[in-house]
Amino acid sequence: MAGEIWAVGEIADGQPTRLTRELATLAAGLAAASGRTARSVLVGAGASAAAESLAAHGPDVLAVDVDAGDRPVAAAIAEQIAALARDRQPSFLLVGASNDGRDVAGMLQAMLDWGALVNAAGVRWQGDGPQAEMSVFGGRLVTQSHLAGDHGIVIVRPSAVAAEEAAQPGAIERVGAAAVEPLPAVRVVDRISEASAVVSIEEAPIIVAGGRGVGGPDGFAVVEELAEALGGVVGATRAVVDAGWIGYAHQIGQTGKTVKPSLYVAAGISGAIQHKVGMQTSGTIVAINRDPDAPIGEFADLMVVGDLFEILPRVSAAVRARRGG
Amino acid sequence: MSERLTPEQVELRDAVRELARDRIAPRAAEIDERGEFPRDVVELLARHDVFALGYPTEYGGLGEPLLTNCLMIEEVSRVCATSGLILAVQALGSLPLLLAGSDEQKRRWIPGLASGELLDAFALTEAGAGSDPAGIRTRAVRDDGGWRIDGTKRFISHGSVADLVAVFAVTDPDAGRHRDLSCFYVERGMPGFEVSRLEHKMGIRGSPTAELVFDGVRVPDANRVGAVGDGFRIAMRTLDRSRPGVAAQAVGIAQGATDAAVAYAKERVQFGKPIGEQQMVQAMLADMATRTEAARQLLYEACDRIERGDRDGSRWAAMCKLFAGDTAMAVTTDAVQVLGGYGYITEYPVERMMRDAKITQLYEGTQQIQRLVIARALLSAQ
Amino acid sequence: MRIVVLLKAVPVVGNEKLVDGWRVDRSAGLEANGNDEYVLEAGLKLIEQHGGELVTLTMCPTPAMEAIRKALAMGAARAVHVQDPALAGSDTLATGLVLSAALRKLEYDLVFAGADTSDGQGGIVGAAVASRLGLPYLSYAARIEPDPGAGTVRVRRISATGYDVIEAPMPAFVAGTQLLGEPRYPSLRGIMQARQKEIASWTLADVGVEPSSVGSAASQTEVDSATPPPPRGGATVVREAPEVAAERIVEFLASRRLV
Repeated sequence: MAGEIWAVGEIADGQPTRLTRELATLAAGLAAASGRTARSVLVGAGASAAAESLAAHGPDVLAVDVDAGDRPVAAAIAEQIAALARDRQPSFLLVGASNDGRDVAGMLQAMLDWGALVNAAGVRWQGDGPQAEMSVFGGRLVTQSHLAGDHGIVIVRPSAVAAEEAAQPGAIERVGAAAVEPLPAVRVVDRISEASAVVSIEEAPIIVAGGRGVGGPDGFAVVEELAEALGGVVGATRAVVDAGWIGYAHQIGQTGKTVKPSLYVAAGISGAIQHKVGMQTSGTIVAINRDPDAPIGEFADLMVVGDLFEILPRVSAAVRARRGG
Repeated sequence: MSERLTPEQVELRDAVRELARDRIAPRAAEIDERGEFPRDVVELLARHDVFALGYPTEYGGLGEPLLTNCLMIEEVSRVCATSGLILAVQALGSLPLLLAGSDEQKRRWIPGLASGELLDAFALTEAGAGSDPAGIRTRAVRDDGGWRIDGTKRFISHGSVADLVAVFAVTDPDAGRHRDLSCFYVERGMPGFEVSRLEHKMGIRGSPTAELVFDGVRVPDANRVGAVGDGFRIAMRTLDRSRPGVAAQAVGIAQGATDAAVAYAKERVQFGKPIGEQQMVQAMLADMATRTEAARQLLYEACDRIERGDRDGSRWAAMCKLFAGDTAMAVTTDAVQVLGGYGYITEYPVERMMRDAKITQLYEGTQQIQRLVIARALLSAQ
Repeated sequence: MRIVVLLKAVPVVGNEKLVDGWRVDRSAGLEANGNDEYVLEAGLKLIEQHGGELVTLTMCPTPAMEAIRKALAMGAARAVHVQDPALAGSDTLATGLVLSAALRKLEYDLVFAGADTSDGQGGIVGAAVASRLGLPYLSYAARIEPDPGAGTVRVRRISATGYDVIEAPMPAFVAGTQLLGEPRYPSLRGIMQARQKEIASWTLADVGVEPSSVGSAASQTEVDSATPPPPRGGATVVREAPEVAAERIVEFLASRRLV
């Protein structure tokens, strides 16, 4: 019998994350294309409760309530998922490409000795298994890859699909935690919230990003104003993060985050390869730069040559006026 | 690339190339515009042991040959001639000490010079004694077991920032030509030693060029390097080893200008295509690259010969400086031409490079003096 | 303190390409992976502070001298390079196997790796290696503070809302990020000393891994195709005065239903 396709979820603030919902929709789609069964797996504190809303996306949900206590999420749930997988023999695990998701996926790879397709920007069913689309080498190539065997892990980036509710919600199956050998002890001593860190640029549909051209920390005011007017979030290049003008959570590019919003506004960003790799698959790219020869012009849809401090406030005002009117 | 360079030299060169590109290049325009000595560049070069390279290992150096030091000057000058000169002057000012100093004197000063904590300068030139040291008026007379120095030196690179200045003074006016000079290291802060003016220059504007006044400066005999009366010989041997440094600076400037012109020719579009596709521009770029490479190869050959103690070292030093200086001037002038109007304004670096290039035809002996040195060597060898 | 830094030699960013069989081309020069340089820097600072030795561990089917030498020039004491032609085409599964096998032959208090790599982009090998070795795994580190007296290490792990302070007994595995701080440029003295340092070359036999369990043949993933992305349309360029330019932007966004 062909094995199941599991969407391995994450819980934040008692709810499945947006990426988790996307995985459920993706699993349902792959199941429909292959005639297999899709299932969401939710492990953690409050899994049963979070399963209620996750089930709306279609696949049945396996919920394991485990209190992580003072352990990091991945360490607490990876062994439970591995135990479930050994027991029920699914074929494919879809795991989100979040920090915790990657940690879980790596641990599962070692525990199950399974191959992994990483960083998938899209997944479809091809032949006997999932085929993952991946943007590599700074976006200069798009690869399609599949798993060699009849099982494996697929690590899926945010926004590979849009989460959709199904006509028929899935059932919820609560499973007791497996008695497993605990992973070596890592303890959470403290959780610190920083206002500047609370941006989920990977999931934002609109990003307004600033580079060296904003001139300094104060220069971000006009970037923030436009982001707010458009209902988006603020992004940044590594240079300005290194310079301390804005926090790392905003950084897009090679050593920061990779994003794929429907609109990316690049203000005072030259478009160096290290930044380009993090944003070039964005839907629409609008660049505002003094330098008409800035490389960003090569992959922008609209290239505006001029002073961002003159232009951005006017765009913000016009956008607000449209909203109001 | 070049088989002349060892893999280690290539690695050292590439490291300094990266450092220069990332950390010095972004400062070059500002250094030129403000005309301020770039202390931050001194610190950077010190932190990465670039000063240490050419000094003997027993005194805290890295014991590399002249060629390696010239590679560093070349790479730094490629992005900023003022910064490249920092290395060249440091080497120049130390040469009397290295060539004629006692072990004790070397122990006293070289570790500081190698670490970059101390800067030095070389003070031979006077208002009336440029190419001809016979015109030197600065006097040093014996005084209470030491020396008292009186006189004025002019056009002294780093004269105002040096901790240690090699001063050439007449110790015996009656000793006859080439026997009348001696060399002393005057230390910053010695009473009577003052900077009387700073020159306003056309190029290398971040490098301070000073007039130094010595008004009865008391210098202990322990600060005299070499024998009394040996100064002229020390100065000439110094120039044999320092002129390649100027040549390296010139090659670096020429390479920097070629880089800028090639980059511009690729992106500047006129008549519907990049100007680099115009044959007349191509010819200029080809000549620039060829001349620069020829100057480089002559420099490297000269360095090797001087390092080996070639008896004709003076001629090689003069030839490489002559050719590289003229090359830098020609190539930077062409670079400005390739960039057209943009080459003439400060938005692009080539006008600065053209101004900087000129000095390499002037200091450490004008091009005319180099020709004199070369011709004399040729004729005396027959 | 003994630290092993996993250092991946990756194609120079911007120059990457694939060769036959969709393999990453390693012939055009390799450099140290960006995120690995951050953990290397963090490791070197810890050695300066606590004393000890930092060793780099690289797995690469071809010579990776530039990347390794740079690490040695920055201050690593010596390097181990698992270099075997059979490694070509290895996937994340094989990489985890080989690195954990090599680590079993080394002594350490801490193992460091970059949070991900610029070529593979997986970011999962660290967790897999830690699991195989039974090491505590501390990821997405913005700061690493070992306490040799207590035998523990504390890490600031970046979270969605700030950071968590996490702690584990050593030996432990830490995957770090750019927030650890800029890597140093090697000094010239460092570069010259690096040439005298040991680069141990280990084969698969040396680490006890069967050649049949690594490389292309054993890979659990296969590339079906690699194509350039569909070209973007080419930018519409606006050079008007700010008032007009702003209007043009809003019109453009409206035409794409983005406002």
